[in-house]
Amino acid sequence: MNVHPTILAMPVAIPLLFGALSLLMQGIRTPHRVRVQQILAGIAIGANLILALLLLSYTLSGGRMSFQMGLWPAPFGITVYIDGLSAIMLTTVGLLSALIFPFAVATMDAERARLGFYPMALFLLMGANGAFITGDLFNLYVFYEVLLMSSFVLLTLGGTPSQINGGIRYVVLNLMGSMMLLLAAGITYGTLGTLNMAHIAVRMGATPYLVQAVIAGLLLIAFGAKAAAFPVFFWLPSSYHTPHPAVTALFSGVLTKVGMYSLFRTFPLFFPWLLDEWQPLILTIAGLTMVIGVLGAFAQPTIRRLLSFHIISQIGYMFMGLGVAMAPTPYGVGFGLALAILFLVHNQIVKTALLLGGGAVELETGTGKLNELGGVVALRPFQAALFFLAAFSLAGFPPTSGFIGKLGLLEVTFSSGSWVIAAVSVFVSLLTTMSMIRLWQYVFWGKPHSKYRMPKKLATQGASMAMTVPVLILVVLSIAIGVMAQPALDAVQVAASQVIDRVGYVETVGPELTASDLQIPFGNYPADAVAAGR
Amino acid sequence: MTEIYLRLVNLILTPLIILVAILLFLRGHDLPGGGFIAGLLVAAALELTILSRGATVTREQYGPWLIPLVGLGLLVAVIAGLLGIYGGGFFHGMWIEFYLGGDKIKMGTPQLFDLGVMLVVIGMGVTYLLRLSEAAEAVSKNDAVEGEQP
Repeated sequence: MNVHPTILAMPVAIPLLFGALSLLMQGIRTPHRVRVQQILAGIAIGANLILALLLLSYTLSGGRMSFQMGLWPAPFGITVYIDGLSAIMLTTVGLLSALIFPFAVATMDAERARLGFYPMALFLLMGANGAFITGDLFNLYVFYEVLLMSSFVLLTLGGTPSQINGGIRYVVLNLMGSMMLLLAAGITYGTLGTLNMAHIAVRMGATPYLVQAVIAGLLLIAFGAKAAAFPVFFWLPSSYHTPHPAVTALFSGVLTKVGMYSLFRTFPLFFPWLLDEWQPLILTIAGLTMVIGVLGAFAQPTIRRLLSFHIISQIGYMFMGLGVAMAPTPYGVGFGLALAILFLVHNQIVKTALLLGGGAVELETGTGKLNELGGVVALRPFQAALFFLAAFSLAGFPPTSGFIGKLGLLEVTFSSGSWVIAAVSVFVSLLTTMSMIRLWQYVFWGKPHSKYRMPKKLATQGASMAMTVPVLILVVLSIAIGVMAQPALDAVQVAASQVIDRVGYVETVGPELTASDLQIPFGNYPADAVAAGR
Repeated sequence: MTEIYLRLVNLILTPLIILVAILLFLRGHDLPGGGFIAGLLVAAALELTILSRGATVTREQYGPWLIPLVGLGLLVAVIAGLLGIYGGGFFHGMWIEFYLGGDKIKMGTPQLFDLGVMLVVIGMGVTYLLRLSEAAEAVSKNDAVEGEQP
């Protein structure tokens, strides 16, 4: 494929352009406004998905690309960079927003649509895309702020008291995470004199261990808070159940996963040796996140509160993958990272399917409380079957993507000798299954209540389709990844090998950054670990 | 709420401040100034209108235009970036130079971007100020009502 690298700016430019246009439409009168905004959002989401697929096919055949904004050369201008991991994330998020879009169009109440749901959703997409492609630490912080602001508006859109309450907790705790990231960027600039991620990677090897540890620790706290890992996950369960179900589904597919992506990107690039040295710490975080998330889910009274605790629990598995990312396995270094990426994608697909399915139940019956629900399987047998499949994929049953992801992670943890975390993860899988069975019993089994009241807007054939088909596609995708595991594994292995290839990253961004004048030893880890590490 | 001397100040100062804002905007590329500061200054000028004529009147006058103004500003900024593609890459600066009565005048896409920033800042800034004044007016109205009760 031969395209101009300026195409790399488009994942940010397209949602921004259409978001700005639809914000401009806030000036015209109501019925037309929402219709026009829906059309604009549809075009932007479609174009974004096509672009993401194009970049995916380019990177998975081994290519990677970088572009300098405004053509200012590398350490001074803002770099955008794309490889397999970025393209996989762009595609997944693009696909999820394309599937949540019809659900939102069918179910969004007129008041929230009028207040600007569609422009804000486009800005959220822009923030996520920007975080996936940026090659500059400060720019990453800026895109986190874009994500934070647009998600805060989406969260409080409609202004019910529970939304305001959840929104305040969300924004306060997330701002602290952002402050940590800003602090890390400041310390990086003060000690290394650069914010370009390739340049940081080159210079990191020459800094004292203390500086490396401070930067790594701050980044771990910042991205951990964004990903809702133990002990900084409180913002998630106190806010995710309050907005419209389509917003919750969008958040679960995008927000926490951007935090995980940033960890997968920065740690193997800046300080891969710390992933080995800090493995006990990362695996402890992983274990506690898993256990506390799944135990919290047992105490929850509503569908979406229960599912949001499962988001936290599943983040633990991705931390487990991060912990063994650099561990030596029979399949080579980086296999752990490949499986962590696979698990991340699996989780985005399945979690969104569950939240869309659960959200549809909540919208159709008028309640999300477990003790008021029951017998939904008689009302909506097809949707119930889809929810069942998605729940079992989350728990890790064959032949779904959850099975492949968990089996692979177990294999890597066992073969690298991390027995304890492997045992914990199996135990948590069991608890997840129990929790899903509990949810199933409360919501779908039993006798239907007579007092369900379905809103008139949702009683049409079209609305029912818009709420079912996205879940169907996601479930089919999850089973497809499970059945045809080899192509999926090949793809994530290409992505992981590109992530751990630090030399390749620097050469793509700017070969002049290797700084021959400073004589810093720089190379791939673990090929020359001693020289690069200390 | 509508003080007569404040209205006089508003009448004289608001156009002056907006003029200064335009000057700051134009010198912004190489010297201190630019779209962000100019936008803040325009918002401050409109705050004078809010103070002298009350938030309700100002809301009626400018309210419907504020959020579309933010959209317009973002649109102008993206277009400035997209124009750069013609010159070799997204956000590449492109300049035109021409002479107007003996003075060299330089205009380019970075200025267009700055204009977008200015519009966004005006829209957001005036929205904040209006919301604050409306809240303050509501509080003072409540106080007045409570004060009348024995």
